[in-house]
Amino acid sequence: MSEASLYFLQQLINGLTIGSTYALIAIGYTMVYGIIGMINFAHGEIYMIGSYISFIVIAGLLGMGMVALPVILIIALVIAVFIASTYGWAVERVAYRPLRGSNRLIPLISAIGMSIFLQNYVVLAQGSRDVALAPQISGSWTFGDPQLFEVSLSYMQLIIWAVTLVCMTALTLFISRSRMGRACRACSEDQGMTNLLGIDTNRTIAMTFIIGAALAAVAGLLLGLYYGVVNPFVGFIAGLKAFTAAVLGGIGSIPGAMLGGLILGVTEALTSAYFPSEYKDVVSFGLLILILLFRPSGLLGKPEVEKV
Amino acid sequence: MKQFSKTLLSIGTALAILGSAAAVQAETLKIALAGPATGPVAQYGDMQKIGVMAAIDDINKAGGVNGMQLEGVIYDDACDPKQAVAVANKIVNDGITHVVGHLCSSSTEPAADVYEEEGVLMITAASTSPSITEKGHQLVFRTIGLDSLQGSMAADYIANTVKPKTLAIIHDKQQYGEGLAQTVKDGLEAKGISAVMFEGVTPGDKDFSALIAKLKKESVDFVYYGGYHPELGLILRQSSEKNFSAQFMGPEGIVNADLAKIAGDATEGVLATAPKSFDQNPENKARVEAITAKGEDASGPFVFTAYAAVQVMGDAIKAVGDTDPVKLADYIRKNEFDTSIGKVTYDEKGDLTESTFLVYSLHKDGSKTPAPQ
Repeated sequence: MSEASLYFLQQLINGLTIGSTYALIAIGYTMVYGIIGMINFAHGEIYMIGSYISFIVIAGLLGMGMVALPVILIIALVIAVFIASTYGWAVERVAYRPLRGSNRLIPLISAIGMSIFLQNYVVLAQGSRDVALAPQISGSWTFGDPQLFEVSLSYMQLIIWAVTLVCMTALTLFISRSRMGRACRACSEDQGMTNLLGIDTNRTIAMTFIIGAALAAVAGLLLGLYYGVVNPFVGFIAGLKAFTAAVLGGIGSIPGAMLGGLILGVTEALTSAYFPSEYKDVVSFGLLILILLFRPSGLLGKPEVEKV
Repeated sequence: MKQFSKTLLSIGTALAILGSAAAVQAETLKIALAGPATGPVAQYGDMQKIGVMAAIDDINKAGGVNGMQLEGVIYDDACDPKQAVAVANKIVNDGITHVVGHLCSSSTEPAADVYEEEGVLMITAASTSPSITEKGHQLVFRTIGLDSLQGSMAADYIANTVKPKTLAIIHDKQQYGEGLAQTVKDGLEAKGISAVMFEGVTPGDKDFSALIAKLKKESVDFVYYGGYHPELGLILRQSSEKNFSAQFMGPEGIVNADLAKIAGDATEGVLATAPKSFDQNPENKARVEAITAKGEDASGPFVFTAYAAVQVMGDAIKAVGDTDPVKLADYIRKNEFDTSIGKVTYDEKGDLTESTFLVYSLHKDGSKTPAPQ
């Protein structure tokens, strides 16, 4: 392969990695929107909390002298998913459920309030400085001609891809096959009718928040390990990017969130690759505007048809 | 001179109140110490206090100045510009005409306007913003170098010592970082060295893999980064993960123990311009010991600049034989002082003629040593 194509491949790998994590976070936005038609602005903070918890657990277990890395990571994953899901549930319980049926703007404001509350709560509890974790999974495969350009694919990037793929597949199966998934789909069609048919809509909506939060916690753990750094403000930027990905793919559509995430990640990487990197956000958000101009409901969003 | 007629009234009032204080002042000369004693950056205020109090002790032990003993009076501005103005007015009302401070540039700037107007001599030991001395003030000085000097210093070091083959300049698009990056670029271009890349990153970003792949493709062997430690830490960490090994260099904003926490081993050997560690100077050995004996820490960056500020004031008063701020300012501008930060001379604006910065190599344990010249 020539130098140019090796370089392109490297940037594609970088872009797919960022895109995978955007997609994981975007699912939370898109599911909540699909069911209750509202944006959960506190979702980015749930991701941040998931990251913090996995850091604390990993550092704690390492400090206790545990050495088996896979075990540590699985324990961290379970605890982070559990606690973040609890936060997701609490956000729904506190900021959404009491306001169900009121004007749409009101839960929006309460969610923004929730986001500010969670961010400041973490600042007070953990401090506002960056917390760092030493690299846990290092090493990479390199290929290509060292004389021209060496493409590196780190194990961590592979893990991110694999975990994202597993989560996405599991979620798709859950929504299309399980009872709860069917209830979710029914809720998104018509909440009142679903309720009349004997499905507990409150429980279904709470479940949506919990699933979204669990996936955000997975992203929190993965990105925490990948970058090795977390601070109380990472949720805002990650949330913004994931929200963009969800809108790009068509908000309310789960495959749309995945596609949107990947497109956003790859666009960012390729823009940085061939233009000065300060234009990264200009190009990716310009792309968002273009897509929304020609397809107002996003790439895969089909208003009025299945939304979850 | 116009300002004097304006302030004559207030001085007259102050004199009336302080009529009796004048007699006391013959024996002690009060020096106001303005800076944050509370608030989020109070630890910097402590450094200033340690330095000033140590200098006052040493001068008093040596017999004071012109028979007067010095006395430090602490004023707390909490690094809040509004409180700094209130503190400055209080200092004026208390009849003190010699100030060491303030600390944060944003506080020093409005306070300096008050002192200039009211005829108070001010020496800041910590504020590095160039704009403080750009208003043509007569009574405002500093014992610390300017932010902007770091850029040209880095450019000299890169051109004369590092001599990289392929150079890239990255910045964080902020006033501090991009400003320094631009100074480095201009400085290098004047020496005929051009950068293959001059690009910005977004503060708060976590993923720099695309940027690193690009640096790798251009075979860059030296990167100057204008910005702060969180982004550079991640760039270093991701560079080492992607087998990209170039020499990195940055300004004072990256010199922080957190850099090593984020970047780990990749911190080893990173270059940075930072204020000189005056506590390592052999001439300051006795002073460091005296401070440590009191259970205080002499290693803060502002301890010896604050010490030097008191020395400059004391020496000027001795030489002039008067405490009048205007006469002292005139003397300070024209003469050389031998202080804890070395020989000090001033330009017309009240800035040091020589930089107090030095190029350091950073290490993975968070420490730094002077870089090979």
